[in-house]
Amino acid sequence: MDALEKVLEGFVERCNKNPRLIAMNRDWTREVAIRATDTGEAFWIRSAAGQLSAGKGTATGPADLEIRADRDVLEAIFSGQMAPTEPYNQGDLLVRGSQDDLLRLDVITLMIWGE
Amino acid sequence: MAERTLTKVLPLRTAVSTSAGLASAAVNFLATVDVAIYVGGRSAWLAILVAGALIMLTASNFSELNGLFPSAAAIRVWTRRGLNDQLSLVSSLVYATTVVFVIAADAFVLGHVFQAAVPAVPGIVWVVVILGVTAVFNLRGVRVAGLVQDTNAFFLLGTLAVISIIVIASGPAMPVGSLFQMGPRWFQGVALGVFIFVGFEWVSPLAEEFQDARAIPRGMYMALGLIAVAFGLFALALADVFPHPASLSSSLIPQLLVGERALGPLGFWWMAVVTLTTAMTTFNGGLVSASRFVYALARERSLPPSWARLNARLVPARALLGLTALALVLALAVYATRQYTLLIDAGAGVESLMYALTTILIIRLRRREPNRPRPYRAFWYPVLPVTVGLVFVGLAAGALTTTAIPGGVPWALIFVLGLTAVATGYVMFGLPRKRREARKREPTLSHVNRAPKA
Repeated sequence: MDALEKVLEGFVERCNKNPRLIAMNRDWTREVAIRATDTGEAFWIRSAAGQLSAGKGTATGPADLEIRADRDVLEAIFSGQMAPTEPYNQGDLLVRGSQDDLLRLDVITLMIWGE
Repeated sequence: MAERTLTKVLPLRTAVSTSAGLASAAVNFLATVDVAIYVGGRSAWLAILVAGALIMLTASNFSELNGLFPSAAAIRVWTRRGLNDQLSLVSSLVYATTVVFVIAADAFVLGHVFQAAVPAVPGIVWVVVILGVTAVFNLRGVRVAGLVQDTNAFFLLGTLAVISIIVIASGPAMPVGSLFQMGPRWFQGVALGVFIFVGFEWVSPLAEEFQDARAIPRGMYMALGLIAVAFGLFALALADVFPHPASLSSSLIPQLLVGERALGPLGFWWMAVVTLTTAMTTFNGGLVSASRFVYALARERSLPPSWARLNARLVPARALLGLTALALVLALAVYATRQYTLLIDAGAGVESLMYALTTILIIRLRRREPNRPRPYRAFWYPVLPVTVGLVFVGLAAGALTTTAIPGGVPWALIFVLGLTAVATGYVMFGLPRKRREARKREPTLSHVNRAPKA
C-alpha cells in the first residue's frame, strides 16, 4: 500500500474510533480531494454519518474541499507530526473550498493530536 | 494540474459585496467629515476620488498576491514568503489590529447615532449592549447570513448615493470653482480619504471559495468604484448641508443630518437604520475574521495555544472574547475622550503602510519565485507598483502626522509606533521563549479527547 494512503487510513481510523468526532461529524457530509503537488497523485477522504473513509485516486464528481501540498507535507499533517495551520500559514498547503470545512478539518486534527 | 470542480463556490456578487461591505464602516461618515475639514472646502469629493484611484492601483498589487497564494491567511502567507517569519508576524499583528480600530470607531459612531435617536438612553450603554450582543451571537455560532451580508453593502451605498443626490438636487447650485478649491492641507485630506476604502482588501481571505481566480480582482475594482461614487456624492451633500467646513467638526451624526435634509424625519431614521446595519456588519465580519486569524496564529504557536481553544460550536471563544474586550476598552476610551480621529488617522496610516508593503512583496516574490503561476499580474510592473508604493509611504506619513487633537502632538504616529514596538518586542523576545517552553512540555487539553501521537 502507498505510504500516504496508509497514513490516510490511519487518520480515518482514529477519527472513526473517537466518539466526540463521530458526534461532531454526524451531519458533516463532505468529499475532500487531496492532491500531492510534487508527484501529481490524487487521494480522497469522504465523511458521511460521522464516519470517514479514504483512498487513492480521483473520485468522480465535484469535491467540497480540495487540498494541495507536497507529499511529505500531506504525510506530516495526516500523521499528526504537524498541525495543518503551519504549512497553511507558510503557503505550502493550498486549499480550495469553504473556510468552515477547512476549519473543521483543522479541528479534527486538533481533537486527535491536541494543540 | 487541473483543478477539481467544487460543489459550492461564491459568485462575483459576493466578491463585490464583501469588499464593499468590509470597507463600508459607519465611521466612514466621520472620515468624510474629516476629509472635508482638511481640504478646507467643497473639494472633499475630489480628494476621495483621488484616494480611491490610488487605492485601485494597490488593488492591482493585492490581485497579484491573491492569485499567487490564494489563502485565508493572506497577508501572513504573503509576508512570510516575501520577507521572513518575524517581519511577517509583526506586520500581520499590527495589520490585524486595524480591525479592532474600525470596530471601536464604529461603536463610537453607533453610540452617538442612538443617543441622537433615543436621547433617554446614554450612547455608551448602546456601545456596550451592541458589542456584547454581537459577541454572544458569534459565540453561539450564529452567523450573519451571506445574503444579509451581501445585501447590506448595496443597501448602504445605494441609500447614501440616493439621499446625497436628493440633497444636491434640492439645494442651491454650487459654484463650479468651489468644487475644485484645494486648501494647504489637501494632501492630508487625500491621506485621510484612504480610510474610507480601508478594508476593501479583506475580501482576499475568501480567495479559496471562488472557482474563478479573477473574481477577487474584479470584485475589488467594482467595490472601490461604488464606494468612491457613494462617498464622493455624500461629500458633496455634506458641503450643501454644512456650507462652512468649520461647522462640520462639531457634528458626530452627519449622515443623520444629511438624511433629514433629504427626506425629513424619514431620512433621519432611515440613515439611523443604515448606520446600525453597517456597524453590525462591521462588528460581525471584523470579529469573525480577526478571531479566526488569532486562532490560526495560536495553532501555529505564534500566540498562546490557549487562544486556539474552541467552544462546543467550534468558535474560537477566547480569541473572540479577547478581541471584543479590546474593542470595547478602545471604544469606551474613545467615547470618553471623543478622540475618534486618532483611530481614523492611525487606521489610515497603518493601511497606507500595508499598501506600500504590497509593492515590496510583489517585487521580492517575483525574484524569489519567478516560475510560480500568476493568474493576475500587477499593472506596468515595476514602474507603477514602485510609484504607488512611494505614494503610499507619503500618504502614511501624512495620515500619521496629522495633529487633529489639540496640542500639536502626532498621537496617531505615537500610537502606531507604540503598537509596532509591542508587536516587535513580543516577536523578538517573548515568542522565542514561549516556543522553547512549549517544546519542553507535553500539551495539555481539557476539552478534547486525545490519543497518542502516531
